Order: sequence, then structure tokens, then C-alpha cells
Amino acid sequence: MTRPAGIFDVRYQQDIAIVRTKPQWVILGLFLLFLLVFPKLFPSRYLLNIINIIMIMTISVHGLNILTGFAGQISAGHAAFMGVGAYACASFMTFWGLSFWLSLPLAGLTAGLVGILFGLPSLRLKGFYLAMATIAAQFIITAFFLHFKPEIFGGGSGMSLKPIRLGNIVFDTQDNLYYMIMPFAVIMTYFAQNLVRSRMGRAFVAIRDNDLAAEIMGISLFGYKLRAFFIGCFFAGISGSLYIAFMRTIRPDQFSLMDSIWMLGIVIIGGMGSILGGILGTIFIKLLDEFVLVLTPFLGSVLPRELASRISASMALVAFGLVVVLFLILEPRGLAHRWEILKGRFRHWPFTYGH
Amino acid sequence: MYFLFYFLLSGVYLGALYSMIALGIVIIYKSTKVFNFAQGHLLMVAVLLGATLSQIFGIIGGMVLTVAATALIALLLERLTLRPLIGQPLIAALLMTIALGYLIEGGSLMVWGEGLYKYPDLFPAEPISIGSIAIEQGVVWAFVVVAVGFAVFVLFYHKAVLGKAMRATAEDHQVSQSMGIRVTHIFSISWVIAAMLAYVASIFLGSFSGGHYLNSNLGLKAIPAVLVGGLDSITGAIVGGFIVGLLESLVTGYLSSELGEVIPFIVLLIVLLIKPYGLFGLVRIERI
Repeated sequence: MTRPAGIFDVRYQQDIAIVRTKPQWVILGLFLLFLLVFPKLFPSRYLLNIINIIMIMTISVHGLNILTGFAGQISAGHAAFMGVGAYACASFMTFWGLSFWLSLPLAGLTAGLVGILFGLPSLRLKGFYLAMATIAAQFIITAFFLHFKPEIFGGGSGMSLKPIRLGNIVFDTQDNLYYMIMPFAVIMTYFAQNLVRSRMGRAFVAIRDNDLAAEIMGISLFGYKLRAFFIGCFFAGISGSLYIAFMRTIRPDQFSLMDSIWMLGIVIIGGMGSILGGILGTIFIKLLDEFVLVLTPFLGSVLPRELASRISASMALVAFGLVVVLFLILEPRGLAHRWEILKGRFRHWPFTYGH
Repeated sequence: MYFLFYFLLSGVYLGALYSMIALGIVIIYKSTKVFNFAQGHLLMVAVLLGATLSQIFGIIGGMVLTVAATALIALLLERLTLRPLIGQPLIAALLMTIALGYLIEGGSLMVWGEGLYKYPDLFPAEPISIGSIAIEQGVVWAFVVVAVGFAVFVLFYHKAVLGKAMRATAEDHQVSQSMGIRVTHIFSISWVIAAMLAYVASIFLGSFSGGHYLNSNLGLKAIPAVLVGGLDSITGAIVGGFIVGLLESLVTGYLSSELGEVIPFIVLLIVLLIKPYGLFGLVRIERI
């Protein structure tokens, strides 16, 4: 990370600080203010719907980023863990009669514990084999929700909830939901950014870069890998709970392998091991999705009907596959790296060094 | 008893398909250290291409063209997308083949739509009867092809110069390069062999159930087959394929079809926990 000239770190606290300079504080304040008044500035339901989904996904992607990008444990089952959170939240509310605000952290914990359970193979398996174990977890978890106890989990039709309430406020409009989800997104993003600069975050990075060296340095692989799984899946669980509060109904097929791969793709596109990258990647992919959706009716009006329906059915797959392929070949460090380059250019302008 | 036999037969058929897909994955993995998640998608493309082309150009012409087209697709995939990733972290190659799979699936959906495409009849329709039991000829052929294929590949890897070069490449890229083996050629050849295997599997798939763009899901089931047998073992791919196929068929028949869909992955998880390198895989001791 580059800083403006004249900014020196003379204490450890300064070195690890997230926000370093006064302008950054100002920008952060303005950004939070912007988030707060966003629905008033752009009172469009369509836009708010997209933003809400982006924020929910961002939380989940942060979890996957901590697990895969920082700790290096590839998980191809993250959507399933999100599903665990969503189903746990719905079950706590329906069968135990808990309020949503209590179910949410409990669902996060449940997802985290399930994550630990499926993270146990990580003690014996590395890299590719672990990815396979998480794919197995993905299939087993979704099959569990689909077939186990249909009277609880509702089988293929899933579970549904009434709108969430807080006192007199009912969270049923996009506007209200925005104010419910936004604080969580901000807090979880802060939590993620805070975590990766802590002792635990550095331990994760050490394990990712060289697990043998990390263990010799005194990092317990056993403990830290499981912690990475717990935290990653905790994020997924929180995100899943918000997802059911947002959608009000969930089905097992909303948490498929495709969605897990989608999240891995977001982490790659955004930039592995960068919290900012997780946010940028989610926005990018979601906008791409929306673009495809917008393009479909347009194609229908231009091309013959048969061809147009085929193209619109396959468009999302092709677009996602193509974007991931292109990013892997052309910019494996993701959007976050591009953003750093852009900032560097801006800072050094009109000089050409530094990038 | 009759049902048991029926389930066993359909298990053998499924197992033969899984074995052929798994063999393709293993051959690519052995030389390039890339796990090809798109192998099922290659099979799917081969089925659709084969069915369409043999309608137009007749059986022989269609076969030749399909073989050429499938090989070309595999060559292009290797050259354009996977070679730039040499030296990148594991997740890059992993995600690349998955993304390629989606790309192929989307492309096939775009070209062929959701219809079911069948091969012209290649196998005689009347079943072989042993006593009161009737065996479809195609199942027998599938089994024979896998058995012959297994023998051919074992011989190839142990006797042929090219096979030895491929084994050397699997061991160490740099050393084999310094011994005069063109590693990039070996990569291309492995992908072409895998594409040929996908084509052979497509003949059976296309003749019995017909080709559909969702056939790529077979590739997902082949993952447990590969890992149960061992990632770098040809014997393992064959045995693993039959284990998974038989298990799936028997569980589907006797317990429930829902469990049958998941059982390969449950077995996969258990095998990974107990014997991470599979039944026949080369054990690399690495304490972590």
C-alpha cells in the first residue's frame, strides 16, 4: 500500500491502522453518510433490490475470501453454508419461536459449526483434495435440506417466513430492507477488514503461503484452519439469514453448486485476499447479471423467437464463464489490483513512475 | 433376484460411462496436474456433435468429423486457456476448467437448445439371452470397450515411448524437459486422448439415452469415481467408475433415488477422510 508523501508510520498502531490519513477519514464519513441517505437519493425499487442483494452477497463473499483468499482453504461449497444459515434462521424462528434478531447470530453460529464439521478434512487434506471434500459437502448439505424431514425443511418447496419486525417497523419494502441489511453489511465488512490485520488474519496468510513454515513459526494449523472455516461459514450464515429475511422464502436449489462456484468466481474477479476486492467483485458480477437480464428482451425483439429464447437461456452461463476465463488469463489479481493501479496513476500524475 | 440383476446391469452401464470420463480426467491430470472439471462437458459436446453430424454425413462421415471436432476443441481449450495458467496457484486452474465447463454448457444450449439428440442405431436391438435373463448388447459392448481400453492404456503407459514420456512429464516437468521431452506437446496430446475417450463414451450415451445439454452432470459424478480410485491411477479410474456406478444403481434401486444421487459424494467424503489418495493412487506422504 502506498501512502502520500510525508506520511510515516512511527508506531505499530499506525502501521496496522485501516484509516491512516485525515482525507481518508473524511471520505469514509462521506461514504457512510451516502449509504445512509442512498434510498432517499435514489428511491428506485429496482435499484434498491439490486443493492440489497449485492450487500447480502458481499457478506458471504467476505467469508469465502477469508477462507479461500486469506487462509488458502479452497471451499467449493460456500453457497451450501449460506443455505445452512438461512435454514437455521428459519427453523429457529418457526419452531422455537425466537425473534429474528436472536436467530440471526444463532444461525451464524450454526453455519460456523457445520463449517467446522466439514472443515475437519482440512486437517488431512490440502489444496485440491480439500476442494473436492467441500464439493461433497455442497451436495450432501443441499440433499439434506431437500430430503430430510420434509415436515421441517419443506422439501423442494422450502421454507418461508413472515416479514421481519422490529418494534413497529416492518421490513417488507426494499427501502426498509435496505436499512436492515446495510448496517450488517457495513459491520461485517469492518469485521472482515479488522480481522485480516490481526494476529489471526496474519496467521491465515502464513498458512496460505506456506503451511509448513507457518507451523514452524508456532501457528497451530489444526486450530487456525478450523477457525478459518468457522469464521468463513459464520459470515455465510449471517448472509443466509439476511437472505431469507430479504427473500422471505428459500428453497434448496437456491444454494446450488453453481452458486458456490459463482462466489469463488467473484473472489477471483474481485481479487483474492482483498476485502475491497470482495465488494468490487460482487458489484461487478451482479451488474453483469443485470446487464444480461436487460439484454434478453432486446435480443427477443431483434432475433427470431426460437434463437432468442435459446440465447437468453444460455446467456448467463456464457457471460459468467467468459468473464472468469478472461480474468484468470488477463488479470489474475482481480479488480482490487486494478483499483490500486488506478489510485497510483492518480497519485503520481503527471509523472509516469510508480506503476 | 431378477431385479438385482437388472440393477447390476444398469450399474455396469453407468459405471462404464463414469470409467471413461474418469479415465479422461486421470490422463489429463497425470501429465498436466490439472483436474479437468469440463470432461463431462466434452462428453456432452461429443454426443451432440456426433448425433447431429451423423444425421447429415452418415454414420462413418459423422464419426470422423466428430472425432476431429472434439479433438480440435480440446486442443484449443488447452492451448488458449490452460497453458497461460502454468505456474499460477491451484485455484486458478481449478476455476478455469469449471468456467470452461459453463462456457461449453452455455454454448451447447445456444446451438442445440434443450432437445434430446440420439445416435443412429449402432448396436443390434435384440438382447443376448442367458436362460431367462436378457442382457442388452450395448451394455456388453460398453463393458468390453472399457476393458479393452484399460488394457490398451496400461500397455501404452508402460511400453510405448510416448507413454513413457507422458509418465515422465507427470513426475516432473522440468526434468523431463531437460531430457528432451516437449512438455507442451505432451499436454496437447493428453487433452486429445481425453477428448477421444469422451467421444467413445458419447457413442454409448448417444445410442442409449441420447444426448442432452445436461449430460455434463455425468462429469460431476465422475469426480467421486476419480478420487475413490486415486487421482493418478488408470486402474483406479476404471475401478472407481464401476464402484460408483454400481453403488448408485443399487442404492437407487433398493433404497431411494434421492440417496442414490448423493451416495457417490458420501463415499467420496469417507474415502477422502480415510484414504485421501484413493484406493490405487500413489501415496505422497506429506504431514500437515
